[in-house]
This record gives sequence, C-alpha cells and structure tokens, in this order.
Amino acid sequence: MLIDTNVNLGPWPFTPVPDRTGPELAAHLATNGIRRALVSHFGAVFLPEPMPANRKLFAAVRRSPALIPVPVINPALRNWREQLAECRDSAPLRAVKILPNYHRYQLGAAHLEPFMAALADAKLKLILNVRLEDERHKYFALRIKGVPVPELARFLRRFPRHHVLFAGIYKGEVEKLAPNFTNFSAEISFCETTNCLELMLPKFPARRLMLGTCTPLLSTRGEADKLRGARIPARAKALIGAANARRFFKL
Amino acid sequence: MRIIDVHTHPVFGNPADRVHLQRWVDHGRRHDIVHMIVLGDVLLYGATPNAEQLRKINNDTATAARMFPDYFTAFCYLNPLLGERATMAEAERCAAKPGFRGIKLEIANNASHSAMRHVAKAARTFHLPILQHSWSTVNIRDRQHQSDPEDTALFARRFPDVQIIMAHLTGIGFRGVLEAKDCPNLFVDTSGGFPEEGLIEFAVEHLGADRVLYGSDLPIRENSVTIGRILGANISAADRRKLLFTNTARLLKLNLN
Repeated sequence: MLIDTNVNLGPWPFTPVPDRTGPELAAHLATNGIRRALVSHFGAVFLPEPMPANRKLFAAVRRSPALIPVPVINPALRNWREQLAECRDSAPLRAVKILPNYHRYQLGAAHLEPFMAALADAKLKLILNVRLEDERHKYFALRIKGVPVPELARFLRRFPRHHVLFAGIYKGEVEKLAPNFTNFSAEISFCETTNCLELMLPKFPARRLMLGTCTPLLSTRGEADKLRGARIPARAKALIGAANARRFFKL
Repeated sequence: MRIIDVHTHPVFGNPADRVHLQRWVDHGRRHDIVHMIVLGDVLLYGATPNAEQLRKINNDTATAARMFPDYFTAFCYLNPLLGERATMAEAERCAAKPGFRGIKLEIANNASHSAMRHVAKAARTFHLPILQHSWSTVNIRDRQHQSDPEDTALFARRFPDVQIIMAHLTGIGFRGVLEAKDCPNLFVDTSGGFPEEGLIEFAVEHLGADRVLYGSDLPIRENSVTIGRILGANISAADRRKLLFTNTARLLKLNLN
C-alpha cells in the first residue's frame, strides 16, 4: 500500500489535466497502487485568499476516506488565523500547506513566527511546497521560480524544532540541505535521475523521504514506478512508500 | 513488454569500457529495454565540438556498439557549423562502422540554420535519420543554440525526404506536437523533463501512434518513470507497443529477435 503526499484536485489553468471529483481521484490513485493521499486544491494557488478552494477541497474529499485534506494557508494575509480556524473546524486536520513563491512572501517574514507557533499548538504538520512545475515549462507569463535553497535553509535554521516536509524539491536541493539540517523530510516527485533513490540514500536517510506523485500535473504511474522500480532495500521502499507518511502525519 | 530506448547516453562522463557499458546493459534489461540507441557524450566538449572532438565522441559511441552489438545501436554526432566537407567526412566515417544507424544533433546551432543542409545531405547520402535536440525556447531562450519545435519542424519541411526525430516531447510540449503535426517525416521522442500528464495522449492523438518513439535520456532521467508514464497513459495496448518498440525498430530497420 502506498501513501501519496503530493496530490491536488481542481483544474490547472495552463495545461489540460483531468479535473476529477474526490471519488474519481481516489479511484485513479488506487489503480496505481496508492491507497491514501494527502490532497490540496489547485484553486488555492492563484486565488487572492485560499479559503474558497479549501472549502471545495473539504467538500470533495468528504466521502472519500482515502483522501486526506491538506488545506493551503496563506500566512502573509492578515486573516491567516481565521483561515486556519475555519479549516480546523471543517475536518480533522493532519497538516497544512504553504506556497511561499506563489503567495509572494519570504521565509524570513515576521508573520511566520506566530504562524509556526499556531501550527505547533494545534499539532499540525507543515508541507512547504517548493515548486509545482518544471520552471522551463511554465506558462510564459508566469515568472515564478522554485523557493531558493538559501531561503529553505533560512527557514530550517529559524524553526529548528519544527520538522517540515518539502514538496516539489529537486534531488540536488535535498543534497545541498542534507549536511546541515535534520529537521526536514522530502517528497520525491521532483527528484529524478537514473537510479535516483539508489543514489540519494547514501546521502539522505530513507526515513526522511516520502512518496509524492504531484498528480495530476505529473504521471501518477510514472512517479509511483520510480519507487516501485528502485533498487533499494525493501525496508527503505516501505518507509518511503507509506511508513514515513503514516508516522509523520499520524495516519 | 519489450522496449527500445531511442534516446540514451550511456557514455556520459564515463569511459566507454566494458564494465561500465555492461552496467547499462544490465540496467536496461531490468527495465525490459532490449535495445538502446546510443547518442554519444554530446556535451563533453561544449556546444560546438571541433572535428577531432567529434571523432573522439563518435569513437566512444562506436566502442559501445562494437562491444554490445546486440544491445547498442549508434548515432553519429555532428556539428553542422563545421561545414559540408567535415560533416560529410564524419558521417561517411561513422556510416562505414558497424552499428551506426542515425545522426545526432545537439545545440551547436539552431535547426533552422542554413548549415543544416549539409546534415540533410549526409542523411540522404548515407540513409540515416536525424535525431535533433529540441526544446521550447519560450522560457529557456538562447535560440542561437537551442532549437524550438518551430525550428525543428521548419528543418523537416525544408527536407521532406529526410526522416527526423524531434527529441524531448516534454521539452517541446503541446505546442511542439502541433508544430510536428503536418510533417510526415517528423517523429517525436518521449524523453525530456518530468513526466507531465497528458502529453503522451496528446502526441498520439495529433501525430498518430506511429510517429511517437519511447526515449528516456538516460542517465539524466529515470527509466521506471519514463516507461511508467507510457504504461499509465490512456492509449490502447497496440499503440503502447508501437511507442515502446515497433516504431523505433521500423524507423531504424532493427532486426531484433
């Protein structure tokens, strides 16, 4: 059984990806061997305030127990406490997601201090989305780069007691951060080279990697096969495929 | 399912020795890849290698095809900017060696450059298809070196009697597929970038399953991912077989038992 830590619902404005209902998404993931998934809604990426998309997310997953909602919070907005409170009232939460590059704030911003404290109080995990697309293929007018490694490092240094999951991070970025920080895990959808996991494990422990497919932007089957086809010990595969996510998110 | 990978660089920053090459053969077989097309260590000397550097790269490629003739087919790497004489000479030298079945072009120049007529002449003379590196220049720019799908399609229209593979489906994107659509001599390989959803289906819909070839860009990408995106694509089993095996076998006249 696989657990996918990077899935989205909703349409993406720049490419014709399937706009699935919750049950359709759960069925699609199941055909690729994924039994549970942490799901956000693409609408939260572009809306001026993410709650309309989060409401759609909660409604969509209500009858799909395989889909675990991960609402997006924009802590740069003055109402972030209200966003968080409404999300917590809407469903039992395991984590929230932030998109600093799409929501235009730095990871050194002052508002992140109380935000991180609030997550700790609520016992919520944080998924920090580094990127959603290969920068080379973005819509021509969308000049948004991945969150730079020095920014990620600054964040990890600033909040040493928080363990964060970086989604959409490149293999090279994981390896740059690995020697100096132990308070992050990495989702693997944007980690790719031949024998990727085999090459990563000596530099980064399997207990801090988690399967992610970036469905529907990337091929679910292709990304799941990255783990299935990897020549790594069965125990490492089990950790990356499900056990780490189960432990981290208390699933 | 038997697979042919039309876009690989097993000699990539490593020596073309038996131990190293055997590792790639074993790697490929684990992924059901029964044959690989070796495109050479094309960036070893930068974007515009001279004649001697080309010979060195092509000799390494020839070594792979000679050591594992049942597993590797070679493409001859050329720099069109070296002119007609150098292009024809190196193409002739490679064509005389066993295992060479095509020409590889990288980023020496844009595919619309007038020097491409020399490569077309070599392709015609020695009956070799051309695999042209291509990528959308919308975001990466550098159109002097990079060939936008528009440029590769123009090259195909200028030389309709030459068979051309536009590399990197993910890099050329949806627009690239449409650029290729009206060029029956233009094929597309599926390599390049992360496995973006929907592109395989779009390419099959617009080009037909006969003009889409599986490629991985090994060792830059992961074969399980590049194959998985095709196995997971919403296309028929017959079309999947064409992409993964039949099309490349037919185009390169490979007789694989």
